[in-house]
Amino acid sequence: MSTGLQTTALLVSYGGNVAVSEATLHAPLGRITGLIGPNGAGKTTTFNACNGLVKPVSGRVLLDGREVTGMGTAMRARLGMGRTFQQVQVCSGMTVRANVALGAEVTLIGRNPLRQFTGGREQRRQVAQRTQQALEDCGIPHLADTPASILSTGQRRLLELARVLAGGYSMLLLDEPSSGLDEEETARFGEILTRVVDERGVGILLVEHDMTLVMAVCTYIYVLDFGSMIFEGTPAETRSSPEVRAAYLGEDEGLPAKAGAPR
Amino acid sequence: MLPFIIGGLVTGSLYGLSGLGLVLTYRTSGVFNFAHGAIAAAAAFFFYALHDQHNVPWPIAGLVVIAVFSVGVGFVMEWLTRSLGDAPAAVVVVVTIGLFLLVDGAISVSVHDVVRSLPPFLPQTGFTVSDYLISWEDIIIALTALVGAASLYVFLRVTRIGVAMRAVVDNATLVRLTGEPPARIRRTAWSIGCGFAAVSGILLARSQGLDVTQLTFLVVQAFGACAIGRFSSLPMTYVGGLIVGVVAALSQDWFSNPPFSQLSEAVPFLVLIVVLLAVPTRWLPRGNLAFRGLVSNAAELSRRGGAVIVGGLAIILVLVPQVAGSHLPEWISAESNFVIFGSLALLIWTSGQISLCQMSFAALGATTMAHMAGHGVPWPLALLIAGLLTVPVGALIAVPAIRLSGIYLALVTLGFGIVMQFVFYPTFLMFGSGTSALSVKRPTLGPFTGSDKSTYYVSLIVIALVCVALVAIHRSRFGRLLRAMSESPMMLTTLGLDVNVTRLMVFCLSAFFAGIGGALVITQFPVGTTVFMPIQSLVLVAVLAICAIVGTRLLLTAGLAALLMSVLPGYVTSFNTDDQTLSFGIAAVVCGLVLANQDRLTAWLRAQGIAKGDRLAHSPVSSRSAADEFVSVVSR
Repeated sequence: MSTGLQTTALLVSYGGNVAVSEATLHAPLGRITGLIGPNGAGKTTTFNACNGLVKPVSGRVLLDGREVTGMGTAMRARLGMGRTFQQVQVCSGMTVRANVALGAEVTLIGRNPLRQFTGGREQRRQVAQRTQQALEDCGIPHLADTPASILSTGQRRLLELARVLAGGYSMLLLDEPSSGLDEEETARFGEILTRVVDERGVGILLVEHDMTLVMAVCTYIYVLDFGSMIFEGTPAETRSSPEVRAAYLGEDEGLPAKAGAPR
Repeated sequence: MLPFIIGGLVTGSLYGLSGLGLVLTYRTSGVFNFAHGAIAAAAAFFFYALHDQHNVPWPIAGLVVIAVFSVGVGFVMEWLTRSLGDAPAAVVVVVTIGLFLLVDGAISVSVHDVVRSLPPFLPQTGFTVSDYLISWEDIIIALTALVGAASLYVFLRVTRIGVAMRAVVDNATLVRLTGEPPARIRRTAWSIGCGFAAVSGILLARSQGLDVTQLTFLVVQAFGACAIGRFSSLPMTYVGGLIVGVVAALSQDWFSNPPFSQLSEAVPFLVLIVVLLAVPTRWLPRGNLAFRGLVSNAAELSRRGGAVIVGGLAIILVLVPQVAGSHLPEWISAESNFVIFGSLALLIWTSGQISLCQMSFAALGATTMAHMAGHGVPWPLALLIAGLLTVPVGALIAVPAIRLSGIYLALVTLGFGIVMQFVFYPTFLMFGSGTSALSVKRPTLGPFTGSDKSTYYVSLIVIALVCVALVAIHRSRFGRLLRAMSESPMMLTTLGLDVNVTRLMVFCLSAFFAGIGGALVITQFPVGTTVFMPIQSLVLVAVLAICAIVGTRLLLTAGLAALLMSVLPGYVTSFNTDDQTLSFGIAAVVCGLVLANQDRLTAWLRAQGIAKGDRLAHSPVSSRSAADEFVSVVSR
């Protein structure tokens, strides 16, 4: 099984401080894989190493079995790796539709610099169609012509998801998509993720604090603590694992519904 | 060679001294002070007024000047930079550039013949070393700088506040953890910085003459020193000053023939450019340097509204020559300025980049135009070629833009503009070594007779085409990419875009339009180098920023800026260039402060029951979260 995203013995350090060591994980296509861990465990760092925003000291990153460790971020994206951010990145000067369309447009540009100016009629049609589809998949077609600057956090999260969906990436890395969402929004977000995976067959690697969401949508979970993988297994196994509890709560009992306050 | 080395060391130690002040204030307050040299110049003129015009003995005059600058000006600078808060870096750049223009203009207005010499006040006698007289003045100057640098070194190591300051210089985020009140640290830093600027200004004026422009650009001499110190190491900055001074003096010895006779003046900027291009970006301090894009939240015009506005404006513009009367020349130069402003607005407002060398692009377009037309190339073709030949230079500037952002990009582009002025303007490719103005025969064809009126209409056709092109770019996929890039280049990268290609292309486009603008300038009236001096590039940025108060619509801002720059001064009588520089400077500082504090200001206005909307009408907002995310991703 070599589809989706794989990392082997990833080691990232900042100025001699090891942030992530020996991170090995596999997030195949067609299912949602969770990456959890307390604050400062190195989840986002792992993410950034996966899509090339930081360079690992050692270890490998593979996308669909292909080595991408030495490639730049843009190249990895062109090979099918899309991501969202913990702090939502929306262009506040544009409408929701234009924001979402960016995903489709950028993927259609590829490496051809002239395509940055125009893609011709055929590409325009494709952009419009993929944008509309993504908006509908995320349940925000009614917001299409709203300026992105006035969206709520929950709507911004959906916009980001729609943007990577419009980009048509096969592997999606979502960085804490539920932070800033209330319970109802989180539940709806989970439903959308499950449906997207079923319909499109994409793979998702989900960094998350919200245990309810993780337990509800993930089929497999990796737990990171102080930069090391301390556990991996199904949601049920994770829930009952003493190591995971210890990592989150010290030596206390029971996982709370929401570990970590929303930021 | 010895005299050059000694002279270089003397001047270089002063560059080093002012560089120290610059680095210290930059690292403690996060504001890179483009007006540092202007402060030095002001100090020199103040000293001149006291000592030479009012006969105050020089030690007292010197002490008074230093006291006034380190306490008074330092205090003002601290207040000013504090008021900027965490404003977008573009606004910070604009405010210090505004200050630069303000001081420069104020000196020029109050001292009419601005080039004087400061009579010697230090002993001119000395001793000879291998037939070369080393004067006590040289020794005293070098020693003063050395003592200043050394006492700063001791101060930073021994006193409590000095240690706190050093921690801040090492790591600016530590300012909140030192336990020292940050305001006190910053005020001390600004006092030292302004005091050093004053000392170096007075002493440099002795050797360089009381030339306001030259002294004001002293800051950029110190840039080279700062670059060698990587904008963080204080001892290396001092050494950097010495290196810059010696290399500049030696190149004066080596390249004494035209057209390279002015090369030595360009040396500090060459050093600056080389260092910024060669040093790994992670060695440069970040501070709050991430260029937070200024984002226009102006809604797109509806098709009908747009048509009405365009139609109305077109009628007005066609009628202008009928009513302008003797002011027609101002309107004509507004047309060419509009094109240049458009090229700059495309960079600053649409794509979130900055260029402090836009006038150098225009100069290239202008001279190309002159040479082409001189060789009998038809006018429209020459115009196009003038634009196209500027493109490679734009591509050259895109190289630093790819590596650097914010303040460093501003520095490199400013340095490039100055290098152009000293190294390329005097060559036969551009203006030649003569001082005569270049001119182009105005196009004549059918109804266009070459009169002012016909030139106005020819220019109007050109700007109509430029407008169409700019609107097309703005609305195209490329325009969307640029707007997205100004907010979050990282996001675009993760979507799979080569943002560097986008940056390269926007600089090429901007250079193209600036080249066209320059070609238009020279078609309208004969011009020499004065129009294209680097300081004019700063004026452009300041004026464009002033107009951003009204909004950041590309064409609207460019149009307003052109009116403000060319037409308005024509109607205000007794308004010379110096008054203009002064008032643009004041306006830029005020507008920068307004932009930086618009949230607070809006709240206040609303409390007074004046403003109703949730913001001042579509003025730019900062996309704070994008930059924060970027910084946190990179520095985590």
